[in-house]
Amino acid sequence: MAGIIVKNIKYKYPATDRLALDDISFTVEPGEFIGIIGRNGSGKSTLCQAIAGLVPNFYKGAYGGSILVDDLVVKDTEISDLCKRVGIVFQNPFNQVTGSKMTVYEEIAFGLENLGIPKPEMIQRIDDAMELLDISRFKDRNPFDLSGGQMQRMAIASIIAMKPDVMILDEPTSQLDPQGREEVFQAVHKLSQQGITIFMVEHNMEKIAEYSSRVILLDDGKLVALDTPGKIFSRMDLPEYGVTEPAFTTICKGLHLKCKNTDEYPVTLKEAEEVFRVYQSQKEENRNG
Amino acid sequence: MKSISLYEEKGSMLNRLGPESKILYIIAALLSPMLAGTKWVGFGFIICSVILLVQSRVIKKTIPILGVSGFILLTVVIIQGLFREGNVTPVLSLGKVIFYQEGLLFAWGIVINVLNILLCFCVLILTTKPSDMVENFVRHGFSPRLGYAVISVFQIIPQMTETMATITDAQRSRGMETEGNLMVRIKAFIPLISPVVMSSLINTKERALALEVRGFNATNKKTFLNDQKRNAADRYIEWSLIVVMILALVWRILKWQVL
Repeated sequence: MAGIIVKNIKYKYPATDRLALDDISFTVEPGEFIGIIGRNGSGKSTLCQAIAGLVPNFYKGAYGGSILVDDLVVKDTEISDLCKRVGIVFQNPFNQVTGSKMTVYEEIAFGLENLGIPKPEMIQRIDDAMELLDISRFKDRNPFDLSGGQMQRMAIASIIAMKPDVMILDEPTSQLDPQGREEVFQAVHKLSQQGITIFMVEHNMEKIAEYSSRVILLDDGKLVALDTPGKIFSRMDLPEYGVTEPAFTTICKGLHLKCKNTDEYPVTLKEAEEVFRVYQSQKEENRNG
Repeated sequence: MKSISLYEEKGSMLNRLGPESKILYIIAALLSPMLAGTKWVGFGFIICSVILLVQSRVIKKTIPILGVSGFILLTVVIIQGLFREGNVTPVLSLGKVIFYQEGLLFAWGIVINVLNILLCFCVLILTTKPSDMVENFVRHGFSPRLGYAVISVFQIIPQMTETMATITDAQRSRGMETEGNLMVRIKAFIPLISPVVMSSLINTKERALALEVRGFNATNKKTFLNDQKRNAADRYIEWSLIVVMILALVWRILKWQVL
């Protein structure tokens, strides 16, 4: 498990004038699940790639500040070393298939072969990862024969087998159909129970609210807020940042129904059910009274 | 089509042999006729290759390859048999068309060489998994990057072809004409170039990122999930092939001495 310290990060892609990340600082404790939200172009993917070391080691560009993954300074660490600690899964499951392996089993082994993991340990890790992601039955299939959701789960398994302390998922479901999305969310839920530090960029706010311990709201490369889902989604200025809250939060905002013990609107289905139950019983009392 | 590889797993003796043995077979098949100085050695290797391909149940896959080259070889036979400089001995006449012995013998040599090359390469590519072959090269010190560049072609090209078909359909649905005479097809190509090239560049960048985060550029010694395919049969075959090449050379030396 690893903690992350992001300190005054600023970054500009090569040949651009605009700061993609503008003086962002935050700390994440080991085992936390951080949701990252914001409009398109707000810097979500760039932040993910900065934590994974792809910025600036792959993209180059103008970089300032520092990111620490435990004791590792990300910008001074080769990606091939950092990938043992920080794993990242991208949007397009198809482009995460190496194309050099004929079976799912071998595909998952690809990263482990590169890291020089001995064969017996490699097999154990692959089996564990496949079981966690529920893709053992596909082990002999060609990776390109899988559906989008299955391919994305294979991509996650490929990274999980490398045993990172931190897992970043950058819009892992955006190119999937509803069934594929649900498969990936179930996989992410299992991951979160393993105690790995997770960052997830998603536009599905219900899932962000359900899984995240805290949520980062970005806008124009700046950190607007970092707080619990309840506090973030209770904000009334979310539309200014191109973000909509979970559907039941919107309904509760319209009815001015807040959770009993906090001054926040419900952000999960369970909280919304409780709030509506209280509201319903109050209405009945008023009717009878 | 998920791969452009011609390989098929048949559980044959050739499938079980390591790629090194088959590569040495190709070297022996190409060198021995040159060393011995006689086309009959090449003919012998052709027979040997055919037997191996029949035994491996992949002989049918050679038919398209031999079909194309057969047509070209037939033209070689005809042209050399009819028009080669130095043709003096008529051997076959069809009306006014006369084939000469010298030309036909020369063409025969070319046919033997070409068939030998094609069939010995078929022994390798039809019975060896491309990933096994590249993995063996990497084990022997070949660059893993170059190995990946070679092996990924087999699966990535069919995927790119599918992507191009999707883009073509999308452009067609926007009113682009793709069928008709040559000019129409050439014109149709222009609105395809930009999305196909852009899509390829984006996909390549994303795949490069995915490879990076899976330690592709790690400098440590790599390990392998699959064991190296190599057994006693490989050693016997390799030694036998080396002996054949030596014998071919000895035969040539003896011939010189006799002359």
